[in-house]
Amino acid sequence: MRNVDVIIVGASLSAAAAAKRLTDAGLETVVLERKSLPRHKICSGILSPRGHRFLIENFGPLPREALHEPTSCRGVTFHFPSMVSMSMDFFGGTTPHLHRKYSDHWAIKQSRAEVHDETSFAALEDRGDHVLVHARKNGEPVEYRARYVIGADGPSSLVTRAVYPDYPKQIPWFFVGQKFHDIIDCPLDQQYFHFWFHPDLGHYTWSHARDGRQIVGVGFKRGDNFAAKHANVVNYLSEKHGVKLKEHTDDEGCAENFGPSLINRYVFGKGNVLITGQAAGFLNMIGEGMSCALHSGAISGEAIVEARLRNRPVQELYRRMIASEVRRTTDQWNPLKIAFDRPHEADFPAALMALSWRERTKVLRDMWRFVVLYKEFKWGRQILRAALQRPLLGGYSMQPWR
Amino acid sequence: MDTAPSNPLPPCPVGPDSLIAIKRQQTNPARWNGANWAAFAVALRAAEVELLESLAACGAFATDAGGTAYGMPHGVVIARDARQISNLLKTAQEHGVPVTVRGGGLTTEGESVAFGGVLLDMTGMSRVKSIDAAALTVRTECGIFWHSLAEELRREGLDYLSAPLNLTSTVGGSLNVGGIDVNSPRLGCSADQAVALQVVTPTGDIVECSETERADLFQRVILGYGQFGVITEATLKVRRYTPLRMHYFYYSSLRTAVEDLQILDRNDASDYSGILTIMDSAVNLLVAFDSDEREAAFNAKWRARLRGHGEFGFALRAIPRYALRPWKWPEALYLWQRKRQLFPEFRRPEYLRDGLMHDRTVVFSRAVWKFWGSRQMVIPDLATSAEKFIKAVERGNAVCRKYFPYYTLYCVGIKLRGDHKPHYEMSCIPPDATGWAYGCEFEPVMDRVYSRDHLQSFKNEIYDIGVNLGASYYRFGGMMKGYIRRALGDEVVDRHLAMKRKADPAMILNRDVIF
Repeated sequence: MRNVDVIIVGASLSAAAAAKRLTDAGLETVVLERKSLPRHKICSGILSPRGHRFLIENFGPLPREALHEPTSCRGVTFHFPSMVSMSMDFFGGTTPHLHRKYSDHWAIKQSRAEVHDETSFAALEDRGDHVLVHARKNGEPVEYRARYVIGADGPSSLVTRAVYPDYPKQIPWFFVGQKFHDIIDCPLDQQYFHFWFHPDLGHYTWSHARDGRQIVGVGFKRGDNFAAKHANVVNYLSEKHGVKLKEHTDDEGCAENFGPSLINRYVFGKGNVLITGQAAGFLNMIGEGMSCALHSGAISGEAIVEARLRNRPVQELYRRMIASEVRRTTDQWNPLKIAFDRPHEADFPAALMALSWRERTKVLRDMWRFVVLYKEFKWGRQILRAALQRPLLGGYSMQPWR
Repeated sequence: MDTAPSNPLPPCPVGPDSLIAIKRQQTNPARWNGANWAAFAVALRAAEVELLESLAACGAFATDAGGTAYGMPHGVVIARDARQISNLLKTAQEHGVPVTVRGGGLTTEGESVAFGGVLLDMTGMSRVKSIDAAALTVRTECGIFWHSLAEELRREGLDYLSAPLNLTSTVGGSLNVGGIDVNSPRLGCSADQAVALQVVTPTGDIVECSETERADLFQRVILGYGQFGVITEATLKVRRYTPLRMHYFYYSSLRTAVEDLQILDRNDASDYSGILTIMDSAVNLLVAFDSDEREAAFNAKWRARLRGHGEFGFALRAIPRYALRPWKWPEALYLWQRKRQLFPEFRRPEYLRDGLMHDRTVVFSRAVWKFWGSRQMVIPDLATSAEKFIKAVERGNAVCRKYFPYYTLYCVGIKLRGDHKPHYEMSCIPPDATGWAYGCEFEPVMDRVYSRDHLQSFKNEIYDIGVNLGASYYRFGGMMKGYIRRALGDEVVDRHLAMKRKADPAMILNRDVIF
């Protein structure tokens, strides 16, 4: 049985960030990844500038192979049913269009942690002073003994399920799928990520260019029909925006947990097991999860370093330290923050004010209709509670966290 | 309607320069790759330099006082003498192995953290070599902590001129970055008191330098951030020991207190002065004297002109202010609790006798650790000319308010020496300062743990004020590499870089601190 300081489950960006913090402090760290590296990852690849900065600071300049074409994105364009479109540049400058297969592999290598790929996490036992991790490699069982475990294995996290078996049943799940089309004619500006606030299209509808093809993506409550939803979006883009695409050549999709950031119901683990990144519920507005995954992953690593240095329980430290990332992420969904502050990395209020009064009214009306789409999840009170906590407490309550 | 902005794309849209508004960079650079390490280790041992490579030895130096940057050296060398350090640097030059020099490790941006390579721990060189009571100088090894030096000097009835408030910094570290004290308004920064130095150059030469002997090296090494050599010994000016006569004045306005501080400094009205605050709610102007005569002169001419109040007067004015603002009651409670804890510490009977403070070294250093210190020191600072200082303090105060519930500001003047102008170039001393520079430390009370991102964001906002105002950063051990060009300009930095390349061909000594 391998005896190490920390086991990290998953080899994504949050895992790389956590691993970097741990190896920098001299802790023996092993990363478990179920697939063979480099592995494919479903993602838009549009990183926020804050995440870009983190990558540069911690892992160095990005290699070309870690980028798709176009290599960068300068901002987002919101489209509304009333046919008003608003393009907003990121405050922090252009940001990379990551090829997750190679960017994640590059980051995990740069972290200098030991990586065991083709090794699937199976179960864990927290014994108080250490954690036993059961995994499988090539069908054979392998065991690790670690002082701490970090679950950084994405929204459908097996570590989260191991710690909170009932958790998946307690939150609404969405399916997010994207299809790749060869382009006949596409008037959408390739320098921007395009997002539709349109209740008839889906809960999350986007499009952007990648490697000479156009991605058309749609997110919806799990159980609905991807093909039908996607066809509806393609028709809408054709009719309303003049986007002419050939039949898709590839498609992919995955489960997503949109709710926890919105209503401040994160899961951070128990005992010596920390959960981070999207597994913990971090997701920025417009579905960008990489920057908060990087930062929350780093904080999980920092918490373990601090726990060892201060000889204090890791959960207590992790929860105190993660509060800054919770503020940044949940602020993006907080209606009061959106109305009176600038929680996003692009200036929505300024773009709105650049419109005429008539167009502003249309945009606000369209946004309200879009928000109503989420009514069935009954998040209203929780959003209001979180929004009021922010000015009163200077942050968000730790009480709803698990 | 599509409202597309039309800013041009940067030349490399994914390069570091494409980050327009996000200036933070390389707080935690990539670790040195370890090329030639094995051959280097063999060569170093052949040169009879003990090299520690165990995880325990390296792990002890994984971070600095700032606690936001972590890195593991490949090996550690404990400094023993100049010859050993010379052998280390010669071998490192030959093999291209980076050497990071560490004194007390009180840097706050990872400058004394080795991201691979060798960490040279200077605290092994901590002996006082000689004290000349007649000439008022001391010759000491530079890995000595200031409190140890103070102890040795007291036996001879002497005292240092100016040392950092945190006395677990080493003499060598302070000479490299500045160091200030409440007597800096009269006596300058700690680095100004050096008369002569023994330096091991990056290529391993052991040389003596002073204002008259190898003056160019002396000018570069003092306030040089360890770029041009390792200071192994220093001759420092000292003075006769005197107990202090302390006076405290309390203000509710930062601006008024700073104005009064500057009046005192300009008119040489006190021997010691500085400001310590509890947020911007209780601002304490500290004034002290070495002699009854100086105190009497102050009482006769200046005391009535100060706009601060005594403890009781301040309390009387604060009560109605808080009574009318119920939302500020938690702050009032904190002030009261802080006063109850802190004030007795400055008046402990073993240090305060007949109204005189003995052992200010112990009193201040204890208080710093007890009330402002923690395992992690997060103390960004700004150094400006006298004219810009109030603005810098007020803007920094607003940043503190935004990030932390409780914090302290520590403001002090630094008397500049005209003959030290060459030392000050590319240092903590802002280029536009004349007569005095002024420094303010922004110290959150670290009563809880914060993520590194939160702390770094706070520090960056303070540093941004410096860039915006054309200021510098007086501890400078605490300034990020990414800010140096923006604060001091390419011309100055490139000139010093050329000198550095000449002095350190393999660029091994304290790389990534400035260049």
